[in-house]
Amino acid sequence: MITAATVVTVWWLVAHNAGAGWVQFVGVLVFGTLLVGVAGPAVAVGRVRIQVSAAPADAMAGVPFEVHLLASNRVRIRPLDPPGSEVFAGPAGRKDRPDIVVVVPPHRGVRRAVTLEVASAAPFALQWWRRTAVVALPQDLHVAPRIGRPEPQRQTGPEEAGSIVARPVADAGLPRGARPYRPGDHRRAVHWRVTAHAGSMMVKELENPTGRAVVVVVALPMDPDEAERAAERGLGAVVDLLAEGATVVLQTRESSGVVTAPVADRRHAGRRLARAISSAEGPRTILTNATDATAAGP
Amino acid sequence: VTVLDAIRRANQPGLPEDSVRLRVACLGALLVVIAACNKLHEIAPTTALAAAALVTGGMVFSYVTRRHPPGWIKIVVAVGAIAACVWFFRSLTNPSIAFALVENPLTLLLVSVLAVHSFHVPARRDLVFSFAASAGLMAVAGAQAIDLEFGLYVAVWAGFCLWGLTEMWVSASSGGHMSVAGLLCTFAAVAVAAAVAFVFLPAPQVSVRVAYLARLGLGGSVGVPGALAGDGGTPAQLAQAGTTSGSTRVGGFLGFAKTLDTALRGQQDGNQLIMQVRAERPSFWVGETFDTWRGESWVETNRRLEPLREGSPFFLPTPAGDVPGGEVDLQTFYVAGSTANLVFHAEGASQLWFPAKNVFFAQDGTLVSPIGLGSGSIYTVESTASIPTAAQLRADTSYAALPTPVLSEDLQLPHQYPRVQALAASITAHDTTTYDKVQALIGWIGAHTRYSLDIPPLPRGRDSVDEFLFGNRVGYCEQISTSLAVMLRSLGIPTREAVGYVPGGYNPITDLYQVRASDAHAWVQVWFPGYGWQSFDPTAVVASVPPNPGTTALRDVAAALRRVPWIPVVAVGLGVAAIVAAARMRRWRPASWALRVTRGTERAGRRAGRPRHASETLPEYAASLDQLMESGSGPWSRLAEAVEASAYGGREPSEAARRTMVAEAKRTRIRRRTAVRT
Repeated sequence: MITAATVVTVWWLVAHNAGAGWVQFVGVLVFGTLLVGVAGPAVAVGRVRIQVSAAPADAMAGVPFEVHLLASNRVRIRPLDPPGSEVFAGPAGRKDRPDIVVVVPPHRGVRRAVTLEVASAAPFALQWWRRTAVVALPQDLHVAPRIGRPEPQRQTGPEEAGSIVARPVADAGLPRGARPYRPGDHRRAVHWRVTAHAGSMMVKELENPTGRAVVVVVALPMDPDEAERAAERGLGAVVDLLAEGATVVLQTRESSGVVTAPVADRRHAGRRLARAISSAEGPRTILTNATDATAAGP
Repeated sequence: VTVLDAIRRANQPGLPEDSVRLRVACLGALLVVIAACNKLHEIAPTTALAAAALVTGGMVFSYVTRRHPPGWIKIVVAVGAIAACVWFFRSLTNPSIAFALVENPLTLLLVSVLAVHSFHVPARRDLVFSFAASAGLMAVAGAQAIDLEFGLYVAVWAGFCLWGLTEMWVSASSGGHMSVAGLLCTFAAVAVAAAVAFVFLPAPQVSVRVAYLARLGLGGSVGVPGALAGDGGTPAQLAQAGTTSGSTRVGGFLGFAKTLDTALRGQQDGNQLIMQVRAERPSFWVGETFDTWRGESWVETNRRLEPLREGSPFFLPTPAGDVPGGEVDLQTFYVAGSTANLVFHAEGASQLWFPAKNVFFAQDGTLVSPIGLGSGSIYTVESTASIPTAAQLRADTSYAALPTPVLSEDLQLPHQYPRVQALAASITAHDTTTYDKVQALIGWIGAHTRYSLDIPPLPRGRDSVDEFLFGNRVGYCEQISTSLAVMLRSLGIPTREAVGYVPGGYNPITDLYQVRASDAHAWVQVWFPGYGWQSFDPTAVVASVPPNPGTTALRDVAAALRRVPWIPVVAVGLGVAAIVAAARMRRWRPASWALRVTRGTERAGRRAGRPRHASETLPEYAASLDQLMESGSGPWSRLAEAVEASAYGGREPSEAARRTMVAEAKRTRIRRRTAVRT
């Protein structure tokens, strides 16, 4: 701006000193250039079309991940929500590849769009204009909470178990096939159709040992930070249990209601916790042994 | 944020600029600006060369040291800029340097700063400053530009600047590029914005400037003090009397001499640019006036030239009969072609900046230069002329008298004009004021006369006014204005003939009125007691003679043919003809006997009214001809069979047989013709 003011001042002085038409001609050229240089970025920013060509379906809070962007014009992009590093996107040279912006989600949740600050100084780099754009993601992005340190496990007592959680299903785990019945198999594990075919009693064979199914109840408080911490602890507990080979049933409250379902791995648990919402019950992570339905406090 | 913080932040070094193309564009813009300043003589060629070398070297140095610029370079740049500023202000305050030449020190200041600064442009922001400084320098150069040739420099400079600015965006956006369509849209937007701004920009305030230009161009001393010169295209050649139907001459058709002979019919080179004028408003550029009419020519009898020796600026006395005061109008005349050494000016000249030690001043306001005014001469005139309205002139009943000798000359008539006087009296019978009488006579002239440069010669011994008013009533400015002057004088109104130039076409780019040879003009000045001499142009209301289309077309064709450079055109035409002939010679091959027989067959068929169809083979065509001739021997079929055998069977007949067949084709044709006749 100082430079522009200097130019205009010099031009005005000379124009009034000489009264020459060429001075005015040069002046209006400078004026036109400055006008386009100042107003052009606004047009460029307003007209640019941005879309996310690729983004992961799962992420974890605090862990960077890449989002692939396609921009119709060359613009400077700074992710605002989730925040990330500044990058230039749009046509550059002859390459026609999507540009990658790295973002770091600060907390868990399900995201359907990213908020970007789009800036441009085209065509002369004299003035920057910026605006905020909300760009939809190709699919929902589940941001899992960080893996926190699990609380000392609190198992519910027999008198508390029935009031807190529903009795977990006995067939927790993923079906892998069928095998002949062995004494001790649960009657609910009998695969009746295969039994009909085989002529002898057959039972479902599950992926995980179903002997020890643990129900993890994660109830998130209303305070967002507290809820984040609770989710982190819940995920930490689930991960630990999965590492121990236990069958984990996770109970959370989602927008559709309370969901109680087994989780097979960390990603699955992360998605569940990403979708979890707060409730007025307060922070709790309760582990319930599905077999003996005992509970223990922290 | 305090001011100190803002200054500190503004002075933080920017990121080093790596774009070579951006630096090349910046260097190109600077070099073009330096060349433009040199072209306009604002800096000497040696200075321009040195500046160009320094800027180029500085740019290279800056690029090499962009990441780690040496610390001492800032000190060098600062000291150099300060030294240039000190020199500039000392130049302005030095009485030995004319203030009118303020642009030259300013140009040198900017060029010096640019040259020094180019050694320390590591960052993009520094390059932006260089672009901005080049714009300022281009504006300074434009202040001296008076022709459209300067537009080439502006166009190239603008191209470098726009290229550089787009490269700046490419660099700032980490390698982004602009499409061709985007570039075109950008440049179009700049052009449209500039055009709109130019249209709505108010005209420059010419009268408030501080530079009064006066420069000596091609010319040389006239030799005879107060004599008119500029004849024959040579600035210092004394003016001589014109000849009938001679070419344009200062002493002849243009009327810039001691006499204005209305009997002369010159050939005017209308497109020749005489001068360009920068002025606040358009005016008649007065050269001289005539007071005595002799029936065929005007003569200046009251011109006693007095030298003004005080040097530039000259303070001019008030001419006889003029009323001092009025609106100030500043005009700068840029002489482009050879013209008379008259110092043309708007009416009421009061001050003159002229590149000579003295000028000659006549009582009627005529200014004569002691030097010839050739191309490149520049002078400035300040006029303070009263511009009364029609109502003011109509109400001008104040009493004032011209000096008696002057009055007698401006009412003089060579003889009685009874018919003219009767005509003027009848036209102005109902008018009581001088202004109304003048307007009535102008209206009558406009309604009853026609304008044409192509009029017959004035018969010897005839009065020009009588011939015009009571003859064919066709003439140009000299006849028309003289007739008005004589009619006014016959009514007792002081009148004189003025010659000079009309304002000419206005060029909005250069802000100059372009005066061409065809703008030479004669008009009438009428004296009003309260306002002095006022100009009236009766020619402006006279309609042109309707042109004859045939004559005009022939004249235009002849003029166009005269302008054709025949020697190169003929040479090019001969060359093309030779090339075509050579090409045809190379393609030419002697016709074979088969082709000759075929052609003979086709020729015979055409003459018999049976041309060959495109889809017919030669045997088919020959059979049809045989059938048409009702010839049992079938001569055409035999010939066609021989041709086919030669072309496709490889059975070439002997030389004698071939000759026989060709002759037979010819003979058969003759027989056919004979048969038809019988």
